[in-house]
Amino acid sequence: MSTALDRQIRPIYDALDTQSNKSAVLACNKVLKKQPNNVLVKALKALALVRLQKVEESLLLADEVLAKKPTDDGVLTAMMHVLRGLGRHSDIVAMFETAYKQHPQNEDLGTQTFFANVRVGNWKAAQQVATKMHKQFQDDRYLYWSIFSAVLQANDMATPEALRPVLLKLALRLISSGNTPSYFNPDRFYVHLLILRELEMYDDAATLLNHEIGQKICETSLVCDEIRRDIMKLKGACKQEGEQAKVKILEKKDRNWLEFLSLLDATFWDIASTSEPASEDVKAAVTEEIAKTRKVFSEAATVDGLKDRSGLLALLELEKRTKSHGLWTDACEIRMMAENYFSQFGDKACCYEDLLPYLAFEGEELEQWTSFLNSRKSFDTPDTLQRSINVYKLLRYNLTSAELTPELELARAQEYIKVYLDGLKFGVNLPDTELQPADDFAILVGHAYVSLWKLTGEESHLQSAAATLEYASARSKQSYRIRLLLIRIYHLLGAPALALDHYRLMNVKQVQTDTLSHLILSRAAMWSLAPLGDITYMSECMEASQIYMSNSTEVCNLLLILFAIVMTNIQTAEFIARAFSTERYSQIIDFIEFEDRLDNSLQRDLMKVEHVRMRVAHEPLNAELVDMELIELKFIFDRIHHDNRDFEVIPNYQPRCQPSFNEQTLPLKPPGAGWLSAYLKVYIRAFQEASDLDETVEDKLLIGDRPKPSNDPENQLPLRERLVKKRQEEIDDLSEDEKLFYEYTLALSEWVGPYHDYVRPPPSALLAEAAKSNDLKPGHPLKSMAAAANGSATNGHSKKDEEPPAVKESPELIPKFFDDMKSRFDAVISGTALPSELLHIVATTQEAYLLFALETVRFKPNSIIKQYKFGQLAQSFKDLRVKASSILNEMSTVLAKLGEEVATPDGRKAFVQASSSIQDSSGFDHDFVLGVAKKTTDARKQTYEGIAKGLAKVVKNHS
Amino acid sequence: MSVLRPFRATDMFKFNNINLDIWTETYGISFYLTYLSRWPDLCCVQEAPNGHMMGYVIGKAEGHGQDWHGHVTALTVAPEYRRLSLARKMMSLLEMVSDETYKGFFVDLYVRCTNSVAISMYEGLGYSVYRRVREYYGSLGLGRASKDEEDAFDMRKPLSRDPHRRSVRANGREFVVSAHDVS
Repeated sequence: MSTALDRQIRPIYDALDTQSNKSAVLACNKVLKKQPNNVLVKALKALALVRLQKVEESLLLADEVLAKKPTDDGVLTAMMHVLRGLGRHSDIVAMFETAYKQHPQNEDLGTQTFFANVRVGNWKAAQQVATKMHKQFQDDRYLYWSIFSAVLQANDMATPEALRPVLLKLALRLISSGNTPSYFNPDRFYVHLLILRELEMYDDAATLLNHEIGQKICETSLVCDEIRRDIMKLKGACKQEGEQAKVKILEKKDRNWLEFLSLLDATFWDIASTSEPASEDVKAAVTEEIAKTRKVFSEAATVDGLKDRSGLLALLELEKRTKSHGLWTDACEIRMMAENYFSQFGDKACCYEDLLPYLAFEGEELEQWTSFLNSRKSFDTPDTLQRSINVYKLLRYNLTSAELTPELELARAQEYIKVYLDGLKFGVNLPDTELQPADDFAILVGHAYVSLWKLTGEESHLQSAAATLEYASARSKQSYRIRLLLIRIYHLLGAPALALDHYRLMNVKQVQTDTLSHLILSRAAMWSLAPLGDITYMSECMEASQIYMSNSTEVCNLLLILFAIVMTNIQTAEFIARAFSTERYSQIIDFIEFEDRLDNSLQRDLMKVEHVRMRVAHEPLNAELVDMELIELKFIFDRIHHDNRDFEVIPNYQPRCQPSFNEQTLPLKPPGAGWLSAYLKVYIRAFQEASDLDETVEDKLLIGDRPKPSNDPENQLPLRERLVKKRQEEIDDLSEDEKLFYEYTLALSEWVGPYHDYVRPPPSALLAEAAKSNDLKPGHPLKSMAAAANGSATNGHSKKDEEPPAVKESPELIPKFFDDMKSRFDAVISGTALPSELLHIVATTQEAYLLFALETVRFKPNSIIKQYKFGQLAQSFKDLRVKASSILNEMSTVLAKLGEEVATPDGRKAFVQASSSIQDSSGFDHDFVLGVAKKTTDARKQTYEGIAKGLAKVVKNHS
Repeated sequence: MSVLRPFRATDMFKFNNINLDIWTETYGISFYLTYLSRWPDLCCVQEAPNGHMMGYVIGKAEGHGQDWHGHVTALTVAPEYRRLSLARKMMSLLEMVSDETYKGFFVDLYVRCTNSVAISMYEGLGYSVYRRVREYYGSLGLGRASKDEEDAFDMRKPLSRDPHRRSVRANGREFVVSAHDVS
């Protein structure tokens, strides 16, 4: 580049670097005036424009640049960003391919072409590019790129079954053609082993592994060692592995649990590897092996003493397996070992979960175990405190249903409180960044009160749990486990604002939002005060969804949102390319899986649906909302979802005969793939009917690449058919009220669908309209459709040839739904149900009303009613609306009254009295409990009143 | 007693019990992917028999010439799995790989000057303070603005390639540098 030109171009780059996109455009224009054909400047201008969301202009420029078949590095880089911004990843591939074809000597272009294919997961093309590069540049690295691309193609769901072994064999052949053997580096060695494993060539793999270098690699590379273990297992070389493990355990003092498992597997191999009943000889041989293994583990346990738990725990596992294979073992053996284990490691926090798999005691064994534990309670030092915590947890674990009476549970709760308060003395001097050693006693209190609530149905126990846990949380500010319990309990108590506070204090961020946001966003629409303009939960959804977006330049513009969906998480794709360049093949498969799980996360789309539900309550139901959400939801509809939600993180110390704390405290069954599918269908149907966009229009509006279609045969059916198909999986996931709602929406759209279809303007009219508005707003990329719109277009509503469909009475199900919900509401009000149940009913009724509004908004204008002679239909709508409105208004009044009652001094007093059981024990003063009572009742009042007002507003907005 | 295995990208979906603890930072996705795409052998996980993650270490190899070394970027163990020597085991793996695979001269790490538990553990493993780095960490945001909390000790342990222990010094606590001077 000449210096003169450089002087002109530098300011453009500077402006782009500082995100001053407007000045970048100006600077580009200045250069283009003198050099109208400067491709680089055009590309940079396209980049600035796409960042300014001027999609249409950017598109035009981009097409011009692409037509010139650029090969210059600067142009290609700029264009890569432009096309990414436009979501046109396949164009990026084509651009680099064209450039590379023109300069086959250019290694960098080859690499870029390869990476472009990798980013979009186009393994076949990637493999071809890499092969070509290997021939050209003779670098083994490219050979391995090509080998691994073939492996990935074989792994790809879209590759036909029969082709897979062919690809793997090709890959294997390529490996032997390399200049250096695969053990040149661990990652190449890994690829070689992987291929042999997939081809089930275990003996060949074993030869490699037994080679001196192979062994050396496995010693330092965990990844290679992992695949080695896998291959040996598949090969059936368990006994050999067992022998090696024995050496490692005894001589090298290796304490990796995998070695212990290898030895255990080897010990029982003769029985476990066959499905036939074992002969006496085999049994005798295995018994002998067991004795030998027991000796190894005992030796390890003796050597390690208190330093390592492996030996003792392996002994427990050995006894358990011996028993499960029907071999003789002393009935009390496991219990005695458990006691021994407890004696040695009872002061470790993980002792409880270590022992759980071995504690299914009954009868006399259970009695002995219980009395052993009871004799181990002591509270003298922090170490004995931890031991006692384990005692209490272990005792609780083995409680039988007969021991779970309200009286006994209450006594336990009080005992837990007492030992908790006592235990606090060990943490008095700890800084506030530390956890209190006695925290787990408070968590046990929470468990006991939740169990009491489950046994008696009395809400007061939840209040006691909340009060105790708040007390503990104030003393141990960093305990996220206490907060997790509180979040659940506050939702049950109808105080979502307090749950949200605790969630925020947990500082959940980045990828954690995918796994943990379910804590506050599951069915969040039911807590949302969106109708009143409170968008707390809507913004939580948006924030938690950030992680899925590759860049945060999110836009309201319909079209930009479209490719935002397609281009999510390009980030990970970028790292897949990077892992190729550093030859970290072992990571690539994991990265692909990670990307897939994040892109197709169930929680991601559950949040999307919640957001839509709240948005519908929050905003006017106009075309902008309807069209945008329709297209977005349709994108989601075909995804195969992965559930990444973390429920395991919620502590559970409930007895084994009871459901877990997580299960007990879910207000409703957590929404799963079935729930998502049902709600997507509900909203896609409703939006489709309310929208003027049909498929042909949508295709034209779409700029970015479409998502890859999935191979599920179910997805091959026409969308319309799929939308009305009910699946059992969906029904199973819905609550009783949601089931009614689902039926209601089906009936509603079946009823009004034909009228929508008749009145909806033809695509040509719509495109003409869009092209016209395009002249006004240059940001809209509708040029391409103007041509299609010309010709056949007539203005506005064209005259239909057929008669309008006959007006039918509304299906009985629709008014009945509102009646049903009313009686559900009344029943719950007069009963002892929790606020969460009440609010679920209210939210479902409100949602039904909003969907009704959405489905009928098209028929509101008098002109439509007149033109299509829909007078009778309009009357049916009106009758239904009046009926539904009055029910919603009634609910609103009752809720408002409840809100009033709950936050009065009397209400608080009731709360304090309800928590009297925790005040009996010293330490909890009346004022503290009163404080929690005030917070809880205020939060509930705020929710009740807000939702009551919201209901009234929704009715008013759509009457 | 735990499974020692490689850190995988998908572990990000299950490390909550570790990362919700205040001492452990959760970085952006690209942070983990960068490490895994460059130094996967310096990243490993300890897993309980029931599949729960107990702790992990994330490290890298960096530096030029005599300064070429393994670096511990993050080492963490969930509260319920502390006092089981897990950190010791993960450190020894990282040292072994830094020594044998990367041929580094030493391993180093940063630790808050206030984190006395961690410091004495590292000293027990053969690490010593090489220098004090001023304002290396952000405040923990708990309302205390202690200087010690934001300063870091750079601690080092020589590997077999440094038999004369040139990478460490006896009075490292006296050497103070500012955060700008270190990478």
